[in-house]
Amino acid sequence: MSSSKLMPGDLDRVAERVRKQHSRYKGMLMVCTGSGCVAAKGFNVRDGLARMIKEKGLEKDYLVVGTGCNGFCAVGPIVVVQPEGTFYQKVAEKDLDAIIAQHLIGGKPVEKLLYKDPVRQKTCGKMDEIPFFSKQQLIALRNKGLIDPENIEHYIARGGYQSLRKVLDAGSGDQVISDIIASGLRGRGGGGFPTGIKWQSAKKAALARDEKPYVVCNADEGDPGAFMDRSIIETDPHAVLEGMLICAYAIGSNEGYIYIRKEYPLALVRLRKALEQMREHGLLGNGILGSSFSFDVHIHRGAGAFVCGESTALMASMSGKPGEPRAKYIHNVEYGFRDKPTVLNNVETWANIPAIIEKGAAWYASIGTGDVSKNPWNGSSGTKVFSLVGNIMNTGLVEVPMGISLREIIYDVGGGIPLGRKFKAVQTGGPSGGCIPEKMLDMKVDFDSLTEVGSMMGSGGMIVMDDRTCMVDVARYFISFLVDESCGKCTPCREGLFALKTTLDRICKGEGRVGDIGFLEELSKTIQATSLCQLGGSAPNPVLSTIRFFRDEYEVHIREHKCRAGVCKDLIKYTINNKCTGCVVCAKNCPTQAITGERKKLHVIDQSKCVKCGVCDDVCKFDAVEVR
Amino acid sequence: MGSATTKKPEKRIDITINGKTVSARKDSFLLSALKENSINIPTLCHHKDLTPNGTCRLCTVEVEVRGKKRFVTACNYPVRDEIKIETHSPAILEHRKLLAEMYLGRWPNVPVIQDIAKTCGVTAPSRFTSEMTDPNPKACILCGHCVRACKEFMMEEILDFAGRGIKRHLTMPFGEMDKHCVGCTSCAYVCPTGAINIVDDFNRPHNPDMIRDHGMKVNAEMATLDKNQCCMREVGTANIVEVMAAYDLLPVHNYKFGTHVDVPKIDSMLLRKKYITQNLPDGCWKGCSMACAKTIDNFELKTGPYKGHKVTVDGPEYETAAAVANMGCFDVEFLAEFNFYADTYGMDTISLGTTIAFVMECFEAGVIGKKHTGGMELKFGASAEVLELMHQMARGEGFGIEVGQGILRLKQKFAKEYGADPAFLKDIGMEVKGLEYSEYLPKESLAQQGGYALAIKGPQHDEAWLIFMDMVNKQLPTFEAKAEALYYFPLWRTWFGLNGLCKLCWNDVVPADNFKENEPAKIPGHVRNYFKFFEGVTGIPIDEQTMLDQSARVYNLQRAMSLMFDKATRKDDVPPYRSMGPVTVEEYESRAERYDKQLKELQNINPAGKNTEEKIQLLRKYREEQYSILMDTVYRRKGWTKNGVPKISRLKELGIDLPEIVKLVEKHQED
Repeated sequence: MSSSKLMPGDLDRVAERVRKQHSRYKGMLMVCTGSGCVAAKGFNVRDGLARMIKEKGLEKDYLVVGTGCNGFCAVGPIVVVQPEGTFYQKVAEKDLDAIIAQHLIGGKPVEKLLYKDPVRQKTCGKMDEIPFFSKQQLIALRNKGLIDPENIEHYIARGGYQSLRKVLDAGSGDQVISDIIASGLRGRGGGGFPTGIKWQSAKKAALARDEKPYVVCNADEGDPGAFMDRSIIETDPHAVLEGMLICAYAIGSNEGYIYIRKEYPLALVRLRKALEQMREHGLLGNGILGSSFSFDVHIHRGAGAFVCGESTALMASMSGKPGEPRAKYIHNVEYGFRDKPTVLNNVETWANIPAIIEKGAAWYASIGTGDVSKNPWNGSSGTKVFSLVGNIMNTGLVEVPMGISLREIIYDVGGGIPLGRKFKAVQTGGPSGGCIPEKMLDMKVDFDSLTEVGSMMGSGGMIVMDDRTCMVDVARYFISFLVDESCGKCTPCREGLFALKTTLDRICKGEGRVGDIGFLEELSKTIQATSLCQLGGSAPNPVLSTIRFFRDEYEVHIREHKCRAGVCKDLIKYTINNKCTGCVVCAKNCPTQAITGERKKLHVIDQSKCVKCGVCDDVCKFDAVEVR
Repeated sequence: MGSATTKKPEKRIDITINGKTVSARKDSFLLSALKENSINIPTLCHHKDLTPNGTCRLCTVEVEVRGKKRFVTACNYPVRDEIKIETHSPAILEHRKLLAEMYLGRWPNVPVIQDIAKTCGVTAPSRFTSEMTDPNPKACILCGHCVRACKEFMMEEILDFAGRGIKRHLTMPFGEMDKHCVGCTSCAYVCPTGAINIVDDFNRPHNPDMIRDHGMKVNAEMATLDKNQCCMREVGTANIVEVMAAYDLLPVHNYKFGTHVDVPKIDSMLLRKKYITQNLPDGCWKGCSMACAKTIDNFELKTGPYKGHKVTVDGPEYETAAAVANMGCFDVEFLAEFNFYADTYGMDTISLGTTIAFVMECFEAGVIGKKHTGGMELKFGASAEVLELMHQMARGEGFGIEVGQGILRLKQKFAKEYGADPAFLKDIGMEVKGLEYSEYLPKESLAQQGGYALAIKGPQHDEAWLIFMDMVNKQLPTFEAKAEALYYFPLWRTWFGLNGLCKLCWNDVVPADNFKENEPAKIPGHVRNYFKFFEGVTGIPIDEQTMLDQSARVYNLQRAMSLMFDKATRKDDVPPYRSMGPVTVEEYESRAERYDKQLKELQNINPAGKNTEEKIQLLRKYREEQYSILMDTVYRRKGWTKNGVPKISRLKELGIDLPEIVKLVEKHQED
């Protein structure tokens, strides 16, 4: 890689050179090395393929590229052979011989590694035939699976930094801000505040006080089951950084920070490499792309506290203070990091910026809901990345246009509920989002609709739950998480959430009392109304939404001391009925030796020893274990 | 200083509280606007002297801004818009009640919690009783007063919270007793529950609580008022460099002028921006809440034995910066180097600066030349030469040997050996009783002229710093008022020395309501603090008269003993004319408008048609007469003879008519 500083015209030359290089190959093997696939030995697949291709003397014909996350984490490690798009799933090292011999040399796809659509019972040879991919619209994730995130030239070859160039050429920061406002882009971190308006306010404050503003990227993603930001950084770090550069130029900032949690080691490695390569190429530092614009980015590693995703807590943490929020009556755009005007946007928001500049505000505004051309608050434009997890066939990362229905996400993209179970609810917006029941599956997904039903967009977590889920237990689970993650600074969040938890614990133990539901509701409302920050302000959502849509489950727990879903351990009992054939599998698998019985005779569970783990039910082939 | 701070006109804004429109201070916190209008809402984490942090949420009110309603905490919500506020709506009362119930569930026996619960109408036993319930009546309720007091009063961060959520608790770093804690007890003082115990095991003062109560007032004022007054915490005494220049009181070119266009090159705005960058509490002793000692760090020396070294410079203080102005060396890099070497060599920056300024004027006036200075071009602003001169003084070489002996001896030498005019030297040589002047220009302040020249030790400002009272605040219009000030303040300032107390926290920050006092110049609120410190330590109550008597014994003793060195009669209290008025034509003409006006208004002389020399003489005659009257008035007030010697009757009154003292003064008793 060259270490020379790029001038504007060099971007085209680099892109052309890389494209030419790539076109010389017969094929490129894009091996997914996102965190999910890496956990499934994706690095071994990448390195193994490269080594074997070399051994077979094919290195002039085939190039192995480690890419960021493809999104379809359920079937990783993934290898996509480009340009034709053959999609191999669950590739193990032992499968590499076959890929090389059969596919690369023999010219025939390896049938057993292809994806089979479980719904239509059809084999999908190419990536675009797979429903998971075909329903998505990629903006933030536009480069996923197509580039090596550790190679800046791959990004440039895909048109990277052309938006920055366009902005520098135009010379007007205010025009950039107007474009972002007109695009209708709203913050993807959860708040949904119009991004352009935020930039405008920060610029105004900076000019008024003659201060240099800061540009900060919030990569402190902490929702259980959410990995949008992590994946975007691992997949396309330069998209995020180009977005930050564009904002910095627009508002007159020279210094940026990325606040990223230390639990994201791979994302950190890729970010560091990206920054290093940007410096080498003159995309950070003084005189960026030959202009007079200067900017640099520092990485601040967070120690991993959920509350540090809150903007003021994040800035406190960046300043070396305890990560606790402050009152936001005076906004960060006026007095943020080091008391300077500060623009804080989430990873996904930043990744959208270059695309908006490239294709125009009108294009972006035309995607999604509402007419945002006059006022970004009028709708939700663009796309949203969701991490689809829980009881869902296609676990993974999806990017869909705003306004798509929950049903389309869950059934078309997500492939529905596995094991033929029934859908019960979907929780959106992270731990403090609400649970949405089946009757609302056709609602459109956008900022305002989700808030209306007592949930929220949040940063894009989507947890699907089937009929074996107890909604009281779900509320209890999320509240427990939030009790641990509340900073404890303000009373309602500290004392109130703890009281919610103890009450829910009691209900789940069968010690619920009449009046508990009313107490939960009253308490939730006070916590929402009086908490210092939005952690407390939204924390009661899981309780309120489950009471709203699944009140009967609470009542059954309280009045009948029963958990119909068979989840709350204190309310259930495992027994063995006479379908038992005496196969002894359950007894062998019971971790507490609670099951006794002779071969070919009815087995019995000793209730005093049973810990209600459910292993016996899982292993029984005769449907002989009952949960009551 | 502090008393001179002019109040900015405050902007007011109309707000509607519970349907009634009232006016509130813009950018103040909503809670104070509510208080001003006698609307009471419960608070728990709020403390009048600490920054609000809005954690208890009890002061939640509903605010409507541009049609949008939301709940906010009144304690830290800034009044910026024309807002409507509801303080007691049913929803708010419900929320407050539930919050109070949460508190009662957690800490049922803490009196302040019980009070809040009662105020908010919580009657039934709390539904929030849990395994976290703490029955201790002195439990910590996590209000954070102590954390903020440590940080804001003392600029330390020894206490903070650890643990998230319900596990939040107060701790010192790593749960250990932190050695940085000086035991100031601010934390315990502000604690509303008594959760922090004070163990007094120091030198057994009579009444520790009395000392603490009044010491905490000082701390609170430092935390809340200093940033709007003198910024002592931020830049120390250097804060007044630009103030003095603005009032034409900064000595420039050996006290010829009171200001200069280049003052911004050494002022505190520049210092705080680029030089005083440590940003640490930096007091004479750890635990001082004013912490006005400042340092320049990482300063690279350009001359002398430590050339090339990066050093920490202890300062600069006002006097050093002003001494640099006096020599005309307007260069902050020089200021730092001058400061460093004076400290390192053990030279006083005031005597050094004033002496060199005198030498510079002599050089410019042709009294001395290069042949006397060893070839140095010692003009005003010759900073390199000043540093060389300092190094010579330290080494005991060259012209440095002579300059190092001070103005009194230089005057004698210049007159005797170089044939200089002794009268001119007497006018411009800024010393009295052999001591060089400190760095204030007293020309236009008769009271300060007396403050300097009548001081027993010589013209330092420790005894009577009246320049602001006289010049800026116009508090001393008559001879009697000036004499009273020259009686009271030297005794009051002597009293600090007698008791080993710092005087900066007497007048470098003043109480917000000081202007309401009868004698604001004395800052009576702070005098009362010191009296309580005295009583708290000794157990002896003290009032103004007792204080004055204590000091007067020492003060009169010092004056009597000065007779042994022949430095304690009227002739020794006469200042050089430079301190009273313009000596040269250049000086007169630089402020001609002012002096002409005086001739006209005070002396009834029409300046038109008179040349400058004549006008200088006329003005001088008037000013010297004025000074003479001042001396008579002051001596009378002090109980001294016209010759400035304590009367035996005064010594008797004070109970110090000891034979050896009487023997010193008896031959000077004619009056």
